[in-house]
Amino acid sequence: MNITINKQGGKTLVVLDGRIDSSNSDRFQKDMAPLMEGDSPDIDIDCGGMTYTSSQGLRIFLLLQKSVMARKGKLVMRNMNSHVKEVFDITGFSNIITII
Amino acid sequence: MHTELLLDAYHEQLPLYEKLKSIVVEQIYTCLHENHIRIAGLESRIKEEKSLANKLELKGYKYHSINDVTDIVGIRVITFFSDEVDIISALVEQMFDIDWENSVDKRKSLEIDRFGYMSLHYICRLPGTICKEADMLELCQIRFELQMRSVLQHMWANMYHDMGYKSDVEIPVEYQRNMNRLAGMLELADEQFSRIRREINDYRRNVQSLVATGNFDEVPLNGDTFRSYLDLKPYQRLMEKIAAINQAEIYEDSLIPYYNVLLHMGMKTVGDIERLRNKYSDGAYQLALLQLAGTGLDIVAYSVALQNICIVAILKQGFGEAGLIRLFAALYGESAYNAQRAERVFEQARKINLV
Repeated sequence: MNITINKQGGKTLVVLDGRIDSSNSDRFQKDMAPLMEGDSPDIDIDCGGMTYTSSQGLRIFLLLQKSVMARKGKLVMRNMNSHVKEVFDITGFSNIITII
Repeated sequence: MHTELLLDAYHEQLPLYEKLKSIVVEQIYTCLHENHIRIAGLESRIKEEKSLANKLELKGYKYHSINDVTDIVGIRVITFFSDEVDIISALVEQMFDIDWENSVDKRKSLEIDRFGYMSLHYICRLPGTICKEADMLELCQIRFELQMRSVLQHMWANMYHDMGYKSDVEIPVEYQRNMNRLAGMLELADEQFSRIRREINDYRRNVQSLVATGNFDEVPLNGDTFRSYLDLKPYQRLMEKIAAINQAEIYEDSLIPYYNVLLHMGMKTVGDIERLRNKYSDGAYQLALLQLAGTGLDIVAYSVALQNICIVAILKQGFGEAGLIRLFAALYGESAYNAQRAERVFEQARKINLV
């Protein structure tokens, strides 16, 4: 999976490409760790290229969401394909994270 | 000459005043925190030299030493409700030694036909327990003034003061009537806020007891009663069953966003949502089984149980895909994807004969 992280106007923009599963979730967590602290709590994740997420990926998104909420910011995931959205729907994660 | 001596003593004691102020403020904050009391504000100040000089000019004959001036260190606790002033004062009496002779309850000192400055002023010292420590002896000689009043009393006093009058100096008689009308109105408002809060607390206790004893049909559905119902963990058993499909971890998210959904679905009482749960839990589980089995997804949000109950209820009541689209719009916001989501769930529900 490819992860691109940029800062833009106090917001962190993340572009995800490929699958998040057990083979790369450790790396994904390491890449996301700096976003869970610091003074720019607003995170915008473009999931247009994300083809799948396993439970490991969901847990990392949950950590992100908690850290963002603790800093009174907002996590938004956008351009998710319908398969990935289904994963969020059936696990109830659509109730937790803002998906547009 | 006497005034100058007192002012010199004041300057010498300034570090002590600072220390005393910090200790008192910290003790008050700690006490409020331990007793779970929220306040509107806490102000603290050390009387400025100019203000002290004015006071000594007017009443210097009263003071033999600087420690006879009791309001050099001043603390003010501002409560949200007027009846909380008595709670704070009870705590203050436990925290500090009160000089009752010089303390005054301005709330009681007003005559029955007078309205105006309402505040409780205590003249205090640090307690004897602290004064046993050698380095605190000097501090314990100093008295400080602790004022307690509600935020509305505070507002009135500030406005009065802002117009250039001290609370014990009356404004010109031609304006007095209007000021009195305002003071009376604020006193009434203070009382009303306290009364409303008491009634709301009584109401909450009552519905909590009705919910706890299972008298759900007697309990109208509102934000408070929904929270009380959720405290009973009504969806726990269903959620554990759903989690067992993949031996999943349950993440406890909030069900509060479902309150509006349930209202839209016509729920009027807690009994209505309890019936919804009883009637559609099996279908909700069947839907989760179809969706989750074989996916390996081993984390699920607690809200899945209620989410699926709502889905099944809508389908069983014949609202079809259009009903699901409305449900998803209420939960996740308006989006073109809601139609696709509804179509997918409708198709899944059809496979297990929910429609």
